[in-house]
Amino acid sequence: MRSVAAIVGALLFLAVAGPLLAPHDPTAINIPGRLSPPTSEYLLGTDILGRDILSRLLYGARWSLGLAFLISLIGLCAGTLIGLLAALGGKLTDWAAMRATDTFLAFPDLVAAVVIAGLLGSGTWSLIFALSVTGWMRYARVARGIGLSLRTRGYVIQAKLAGLNHWSVARWHYLPWLLPTLTVVWTGMFARAILGISALGFLGFGVQPPMPEWGTMLLDARIHLRSTPLQMIWPGLAVVISVLVINLAGDILRDTVATEGDHA
Amino acid sequence: MLKVDRVWVRRGSRFALENISLSLPPGKTLAIVGESGAGKSTLIATILGLLKPRKGDVTWADHSVRACGPALVMQEPRAAFNPALSLRRSVMEPIVARNEVVPHERIRRLSDSLELSLDILDRCPGEISIGQAQRLAILRALMTAPPLVLLDEPLSALDAATQKRTARLISDLQREERFAAMVVTHDLGYAVAHADEIAVIKSGRIEEVFTPQTFAMEPKSAYCRSLRDAAIALGALEEPV
Amino acid sequence: MITSLIGLILRAAVVLAGTALITFTLLWNAPGDPAQAIAMARFDALLTQDIINQVREEAGLDAGFWTAFITWVGPLLTLDFGQSSVTGRDVWPDLLTAIGYVTPLAVGGLAIGLALSFSLAIVATRRPGGLLDRFAIAVASLGTAIPAYWLGLLLILLFAVHLAWLPAMGARTPSHIILPALTLGLGVAASLTRIIRSGILEARDQPFLSAIRRRGVSPKDISRDHIAPHAAIPVVTVFGLELAFLLEGVVMVEVIFGRPGLGTFLVNAIEARDFPQVQAVVVLTALIFVTVNLIIDVIYRIIDPRIGGRNA
Repeated sequence: MRSVAAIVGALLFLAVAGPLLAPHDPTAINIPGRLSPPTSEYLLGTDILGRDILSRLLYGARWSLGLAFLISLIGLCAGTLIGLLAALGGKLTDWAAMRATDTFLAFPDLVAAVVIAGLLGSGTWSLIFALSVTGWMRYARVARGIGLSLRTRGYVIQAKLAGLNHWSVARWHYLPWLLPTLTVVWTGMFARAILGISALGFLGFGVQPPMPEWGTMLLDARIHLRSTPLQMIWPGLAVVISVLVINLAGDILRDTVATEGDHA
Repeated sequence: MLKVDRVWVRRGSRFALENISLSLPPGKTLAIVGESGAGKSTLIATILGLLKPRKGDVTWADHSVRACGPALVMQEPRAAFNPALSLRRSVMEPIVARNEVVPHERIRRLSDSLELSLDILDRCPGEISIGQAQRLAILRALMTAPPLVLLDEPLSALDAATQKRTARLISDLQREERFAAMVVTHDLGYAVAHADEIAVIKSGRIEEVFTPQTFAMEPKSAYCRSLRDAAIALGALEEPV
Repeated sequence: MITSLIGLILRAAVVLAGTALITFTLLWNAPGDPAQAIAMARFDALLTQDIINQVREEAGLDAGFWTAFITWVGPLLTLDFGQSSVTGRDVWPDLLTAIGYVTPLAVGGLAIGLALSFSLAIVATRRPGGLLDRFAIAVASLGTAIPAYWLGLLLILLFAVHLAWLPAMGARTPSHIILPALTLGLGVAASLTRIIRSGILEARDQPFLSAIRRRGVSPKDISRDHIAPHAAIPVVTVFGLELAFLLEGVVMVEVIFGRPGLGTFLVNAIEARDFPQVQAVVVLTALIFVTVNLIIDVIYRIIDPRIGGRNA
């Protein structure tokens, strides 16, 4: 558990403090020094406009990691809410919530995100909206499944008889049992959001230049693939390492949850 | 007064309860006896408003039963407490839900009667014995002084010695608190010893309703006679003179 | 069986209706005037305000969301996608061309992916927990973390730029498909290997198999009668998952390699705000997806009669 917190914490630290660690202004253009190979001043070299690649990567962490965190959190809240509504509400609520989930699942979510972000116009807000709206279904299914199994528990019935309001019942009697599994799902969705943000950035529908975002940086680098191949290595590597690390955290978490016993 | 008036309840494709009528005056005890699957738990859920009857009414003093704030003591005492919360939180839940002031004096009196020491409230549900858990469940049930308490096989998860002790505590408390009790049990000896009336239920229908005295003497149906004879053979019931 | 089949079809219909509703909501709220968008979809690029107003009235856009939705969804029910708002050409022929390009890519990617993942999984499960097994899992985990666009760029760098063995951009010759299909196939293989591996292990380690074996049933009969049906369920599940993966992968891969196809068609249509083309891809994708999932659900019920009733 502690190692998982450390991993997620380190990524978030990068997202928040990345810009402070950057040695240069990520958008400062320096045409004479363009396409510089790695030097002591520019540790990873410079891009086509002479901007420092390391600084751009560090600033990019804010978008690529920070936004991914935000998006996966929005999905977590929305999905849990919908799943609990389905589990605790009446038959009609359950039916409506599950058909809505089916509908959103009836489409490859990245393709859906591309269409949504594209149609709403490129930009950070439509990026957040597109990836959030396509990223809540798995939470909803998990929350509903566990919720249904808890509904007949003795303490839930007692809480209902005591007249506890729905919100408190959900807060005290459902959430503690949902959270471990939902956290495992969340790590997967965090990784997905990182991949989604950079994919949309790469397609030109995400964070807009000159903001440094890892996917947009790859898009830039693709154009100059032949002249400066190294330039495309770094942003891609940043994405891969982040996703690997989060998946590792997810695996550790899954094992912990599994050994703590199947309560649901 | 609890009134169950010609109630039909569907479970899946069949009726789990058919045309059930019962009444229970304040302060009295009604025992529901029957084998598993007879519809006892369905009856409790229906009275508590957790299941909606297809036909018929369940009322307490001409209002819905839920309005009187009924309490339930369940068969599996540990399951009644959320393992993620402290016992204190769980026991205080009825008070918290009603935004009432914590009745410290009442809690002390009840825990004395139940022979519970209050420091177990700071433990987790997994750390107390089943007997303690059931007494704590009774404590929680009586926190808000409910006029009606439903007990669903309150003793069957306990060992024999604890059963006796808990049965005694329940009837003592009922004398003090004057709540109406509906006890679901398959223990005829207990029913005869503690109930004012006994309803025998079979396959979702009421077979017969007796007083403890008449039950030993003159069951009309063959099923009730066989129940009585089995209880006598087991020594749970004395043979009528 | 019949009632559950009807139930499944009804559910698929509800899902399709939901997709249509969401798509229309999106178009309704997209920046710009929906009347203008519809007018552009129906007529040529040169529009006067009169025509736009006329369309607004006809489509019931003044009357509100639901009237407009009914008017909009009508032609789609007959798969009439109308004309492109940019070129004025019918959407269908261009869409068919795109499908003609995407099909060999998807089939090739799936074939490479299946071949790779099955061989990796079979080698890995020969000694579960062994060195090869752990290696296979590590490779698969690494593979799932590598986004297709980066993998594609790396392959271009290696095979097209450095070694100059293969062409990278476009789709002029048959060899142009190799790198895109490989990119897609590696992604498929990474996502499949773990699932197939655990599928094989699970099917092989069922407790009753050792009892049957001890009774002297031949290994061949055991494989056919007991292991294969059990392993079939994860394989069917995988095809459902892979369809999504392929569709997503195709979008990215086509863009990287500048290859015409469904993904390029979609991205270009979005960039040009060519709503009729976007709609066509969305409706078609949803239709394929829902149909395949419907078929998978039906196959599930045939393989394993226990599945059914209220599954989540």
